[in-house]
Amino acid sequence: MANIMSKSVSGSQSKNQLSGRASALINIFFVIYSALCILPLLLIVSVSFSDEQSVMTHGYRFLPENFNLAAYRFLIKDIDQIVHSYGISITVTVIGTILSVIVIAMYAYPISRSHFPQAKFFTFFVFLTMLISGGLVPWYLVYVQMLDLRNTLWSLIMPLIMSAFWVLIMRTFFKETVPEAVLESAKIDGAGELRIFIRIVLPLSLPVLATVALFQTLTYWNDWFLSLVFISDNHNISVQYFLYKMMVNIQYLSSNPNAMAEITRAGGMVNFPSETVRMAMVVVGVGPIVFAYPFFQKYFIKGLTVGSVKG
Amino acid sequence: MKHTKSKTALLLTMLIVSSLAATACGNSNEANSSNKAAPDASGTASAAPDASADSGTGNASTDVSKLKPYKLKLVYEGAPQADEALVEEALNKILTEKINATIDIAPIDWGAWDDKINLMIASREPVDILFTASWNGYAKNVAKGVYMDLGPLLDQYGQGIKDSLDPAFLSGSKIGGKNYAVPTNKELASSGGIVYRKDIADELGIDMSKVQKIEDLDAVYKIVKEKKPNMYPLYTTGGTFSSHSFVELDYLGDTTIPGAIDKNGTDAKVKPAEEFPQYLNALKVTRDYFLKGYINKDAATSQTSSLDAYKTGNVFSTVEPLKPGKAEEIASATALDGKLAQITLTGKTVATSETTGAMLAISTTSKDPERAMMLINLLHTDQEIINLLNFGIEGTHYTRSGNVMTQTEKSGQYAPGVAWELGNQFLNYVWSSEAPDKWEQFKKFNEGAKSSPALGFTFDSEPVKSEVGALANVLREYQKALETGSVDLDEMLPKFIAAQKSAGLDKVIAEKQKQLDEFLASQK
Amino acid sequence: MKVMLVPPKQKAVFTYSIVRNLRTFWMFYVMMLPGIVLLLINNYIPMSGIIIAFKTINYQEGILGSPWTGLKNFEYLFASKDSYIIIRNTLLYNSLFIVLNIVFPLAFALMLNEMKNRFLSKLHQTIMFLPYFLSMIVISYLVYGFMSDERGYFNGTLLPALGLEPVRWYFTKEVWPIILPIINTWKNMGYYTVVYMAAIIGIDEEFYEAATIDGANKWQQMKKITIPLIMPVITIMTLLQIGRIFNADFGLFFQVPRESGALFPVTNVIDTYVYRTFLTVGDIGLSSAAGLFQSVVGFVLVFISNWVVRRFNRENALF
Repeated sequence: MANIMSKSVSGSQSKNQLSGRASALINIFFVIYSALCILPLLLIVSVSFSDEQSVMTHGYRFLPENFNLAAYRFLIKDIDQIVHSYGISITVTVIGTILSVIVIAMYAYPISRSHFPQAKFFTFFVFLTMLISGGLVPWYLVYVQMLDLRNTLWSLIMPLIMSAFWVLIMRTFFKETVPEAVLESAKIDGAGELRIFIRIVLPLSLPVLATVALFQTLTYWNDWFLSLVFISDNHNISVQYFLYKMMVNIQYLSSNPNAMAEITRAGGMVNFPSETVRMAMVVVGVGPIVFAYPFFQKYFIKGLTVGSVKG
Repeated sequence: MKHTKSKTALLLTMLIVSSLAATACGNSNEANSSNKAAPDASGTASAAPDASADSGTGNASTDVSKLKPYKLKLVYEGAPQADEALVEEALNKILTEKINATIDIAPIDWGAWDDKINLMIASREPVDILFTASWNGYAKNVAKGVYMDLGPLLDQYGQGIKDSLDPAFLSGSKIGGKNYAVPTNKELASSGGIVYRKDIADELGIDMSKVQKIEDLDAVYKIVKEKKPNMYPLYTTGGTFSSHSFVELDYLGDTTIPGAIDKNGTDAKVKPAEEFPQYLNALKVTRDYFLKGYINKDAATSQTSSLDAYKTGNVFSTVEPLKPGKAEEIASATALDGKLAQITLTGKTVATSETTGAMLAISTTSKDPERAMMLINLLHTDQEIINLLNFGIEGTHYTRSGNVMTQTEKSGQYAPGVAWELGNQFLNYVWSSEAPDKWEQFKKFNEGAKSSPALGFTFDSEPVKSEVGALANVLREYQKALETGSVDLDEMLPKFIAAQKSAGLDKVIAEKQKQLDEFLASQK
Repeated sequence: MKVMLVPPKQKAVFTYSIVRNLRTFWMFYVMMLPGIVLLLINNYIPMSGIIIAFKTINYQEGILGSPWTGLKNFEYLFASKDSYIIIRNTLLYNSLFIVLNIVFPLAFALMLNEMKNRFLSKLHQTIMFLPYFLSMIVISYLVYGFMSDERGYFNGTLLPALGLEPVRWYFTKEVWPIILPIINTWKNMGYYTVVYMAAIIGIDEEFYEAATIDGANKWQQMKKITIPLIMPVITIMTLLQIGRIFNADFGLFFQVPRESGALFPVTNVIDTYVYRTFLTVGDIGLSSAAGLFQSVVGFVLVFISNWVVRRFNRENALF
C-alpha cells in the first residue's frame, strides 16, 4: 500500500513536469518581461536624481548624468504635508479595506446560496450598477446634501466599500468552493446562517478574501478621484491627490493653450514644478506601495495556497 | 480596476445632473435663498435711503450696525496658500468693521477648477462670489442662470466700482444688455510681441530695434541658431504668431469657438480665421521658422512651460501677449532679472475677450447678494483689503516702503499670484523688482487702444452646441499642430478646413453673424 | 422581481410567502443590509439623474423646470464624419484589449504555474504587478520619456546608436495602434495574470494526477483540464469587459498621447471626444447623453453575449 502511494506520487511528479529546456525558456522569458516592467520605472528614478539642466539638454537617461538631489531637497520643504498625507492615505486604506471585505462577503454569501429564492434578484441588483450610472452630479448631491460628508474621511471611504465586481467574484467563489452538502449538514446540526458563514464559509474562502483585500487596498491607495470631488480644504489630502493635483495642474494648463494664454495675458504666472521634481514626486508617491506590495503578496499567495490545499 | 474605469467614466461624463435629489434640494435651496434674501433686501432697501442721505454714494459702512453678521464665500481659480487662515483672520477684522461680514477664501486649484466649479454650480452650493471669464464659461453659465443680474446691485452698492473702472469694461462685458459680472480693473488693451534674452542679443551684437514685424525675426533667429546651437531661438508650447492677440482677430467672446471678425475692420463680417490673410501669413512664417529649426520640435506636445524653459537658459525668445512690464514679470519669475526685454509687434486693440478676461460674479445661490456686492466694491476701492488678499500681511509676507514691496522669508507662505482675478489692480503695491510706475504705464497703455466693432458682444453658443462640440475636437486635432508649424501647411490646412466644415462650421459662423448683427442693430 | 408580478387576487398567498421568506431568511437580509444601503446611496438614488440627457439645463429653473429637448443632446455624437472614426476606434481598441487581456495573461498564468521554482514564480508575479500600480498620468510620463521628439530615450539615445533616423512619434499615427495595446496589456498583465493564477491554483491536483496516469501530456492537460475548469472565470472577465466596450480607458487615450492632434484619427475615442466637447461647451446635458448612450449599448451587448453564453453553457453565464 505504502509502496503504491509513493510510486504514484513520484511517478506523477516526474511525468507531470516540463522538460528542462522548456523550463529554462520560460525562466528566460520571464526575466526579460520582468526587466521590461522595471526599466521604465528606473528611468523615472534616474531622472528624479538628475540635474534639471542636463535633463533639459540631454533628455531622459537611465543613468543620471550629474547626480543631484535638488528635486528631493525641493520636496523636503513640504515634508510636513507629505507625512500628513501618508497618514491620511494609510488611515483611509486600512479602514476602507477592512469594511469593504466584510460588507462584500456578507452580501456575496446569501446570493451564492441556491436555496435562497431572492438570490437572483439581489445578484441582478448588484450587477445592474456595473452597467448604468446616474452620473457624477446626482451622486455628488447624495453625498454632499443628503449625507453632508464633504471634507470628511468617510467621503473617501464609503463610495468604494461596495464593489459589484468583487461581489460577483466572491459569489462565484463561494458557489464553486464551498460544498453545499457541508452547509446543509451544519444547518441540520442547528447552526444559524451567520454562524455557518463565520465558522465554515469564511475559513474556506481565505484566498478570495485575500484577493479582495489586496485589490481594495490598491483601489483605496490609488484613489484621487474622491478627493478631487469631496476635499476642498487643505487637510485630508492623500498622497495620490497630492500627486494628482500637481500633475493635473501641469496637464490642464499645457493641454489648454487658450486658458494658459488668457491666464498669462491677464497677468497670472504659470510656474510648473520642474521635470525632475515631478519625477521625484512620482517616486515618493509610488515608492511605498511598491515596497509594501511584496509583503502583501506573501499573504496573498499564502491565502491562495491555503485555498488550493483544502482537499 | 473596475473602479478606475467607472471613475473615469464619471469624470468624463462629467456632471450629469440629478432629478429627484437635485431638484428637491435645489428647489428647497432656491426657496431658502429667496426667503432669506427677501427680508434682507427689504431691510437694506429701507436702510439704503438713510445711507444715501448720509453720503449719497450708497456706502454701506454707515449702517454696519443694521447688518447681520454674514460669512462671504469667495471662490477663485488658483493654488490654495499655506497661510490662508492668517490672512482670513486679518481680513475679517477689517471686513467686520466695514460691512459686518467675514470671509471664506476658497481657491480651487487650476487643474481641479473645471470639475469642481461645475459640481459646485450644478449642486447649487451656496457661494457668494465666483471668479469667471469669457474663456472660462462665462456666457454658458449666464445662459444657465448661474450668475445674478448685477444691474440694481451695482447702482446701489457699486458706486466705487463705477467711479474707478473704465466704462468700457462694464459696457464691454454685458450679455443681453445686462451685467452679470464685474471685470477686474487692469490693462484693457491687448497687444502681441516677443520677450527675448536681451543679454544674448547684446552678446551676439543683434540690433533688435530693427524688428518690427514677425518676418524681421528671421534674421535674428538665424544668428542665434548659428552662434548658439544649443539654444531654441523661439520656444513655444502652443501659442505663437497666430494667436488672436497677435493677428488682431476678435472671436466674439470665446476664443475656442471658430469664427472671428477683424478687430481693425469695419464690416463686422464673421469668417473663419483661415480666411484672414494675416492669420494665413502667421501660419506660413511659423512653419518656415519651424522648418529652419528655430522652434522647439516638441512644441505641439511639450509640457514644459516657457517659464521653465527660460530657467534652463536655453531659450532665446517666446511669443507673449504683451502689456507694460511683461518682460520684468517673466524675468523675476525665472531668476533672469535684467536679462529680458520685450518688443511689441502689433497694435493695441480691445475686444470683448479683453474686457471679460477676468471678472467676479455673484452666484444666484448667494444668500446675501447685497453684501457680496459690497465686498466686490471694497476690492475695487479699498487699498488695504485688496493688498491683504493679494499679497498677505504686511510685515509678515512682505515689507513695504511707500508703494513698493520687498519679499520676505515668508512670502512663499502666501503668494496666490491671482491679483489679476480680483478687484482693482491699480490699487496693488508693486514688487521692488518691478517698475515703480507700473500702474502709470498701464494707464498709458490703456489709452488710445483701438476698439473692435463688436466690443461688448458675447456669443451664446447654446443654439449650435452640437456643432460647437464637434468642432472642439476638430480644433484640437489640427490647430496646435498647425499653429506651432509642426505640420505641412499645404497638406494639412485644406484638411483642417474640410474637417471644420463637416463638423458644422458654416452653421456656427452663420449663428455668430446672426447674433452679432442683432447686437449691432440694438446698439444703434 | 417575480414577487411584483403576482396578481392581486393572490395577495393573501403573497403576504404569507413574504412572511415565510422573511422568517426563513431574515439573517440573509440582515447580512446584505449594509451592501444594499451602499448600493442605494452610490448607485440607485443617483440613477434618476438620467433625465438630464433629455433636458437643456437652467439652474435657476431647477432640473425639473428646465425645458425638455428630446434627443437633441445626442445629436453631436453623430454630428460629424468623425463620429464614425470615434466609434470605430472605441470598438476596435476595446475588442482588441479584451482578446489581449485573455490570451497573454492566461498564457503567462499557465507558464508561471509550471515554474518549478516557487520563489522565482512569486518574484516575477510581484514585478509584473508593478505597472498596475502606476496611474495613467505617470505612464504618460514614462512613455514621453521614451518617445519625446527631443528628449526621449529612443530619439536621443537608442535610434542614433543603431544608426537610425529619429522618428517623430507624436506625429506618426501609424505606430499608435500598436503602442496603445502594448501599454494596455503591459499595465494590466499583472492583474489578469493573478486572477487566472488564482483560478488555476484552485483546480484540484487530483485531476492532473489522474490525467498523468492516463498518459496525457502538458498540452492535453491544459486543453482538457485547465482551460475548461477556469472557463467560468474567463467568461465572467470577458462579459464584464464587453459591458464596457463603449467606455474607453480615458487615461490611456487622453493622457498618454498628450493631446497630439496628429494622432486623433487613431486615438480619439468616445470618452475623449465627449470630454473635449465638455471643455468647450460645458453642457452637462451633452455629457449625460453620451454617458447614457454608452450605458445602453453596453447593457444591450452584455445581455446579448450573456444569452449566447447561456446557449452553450448555462453554468458559465453571468446571470
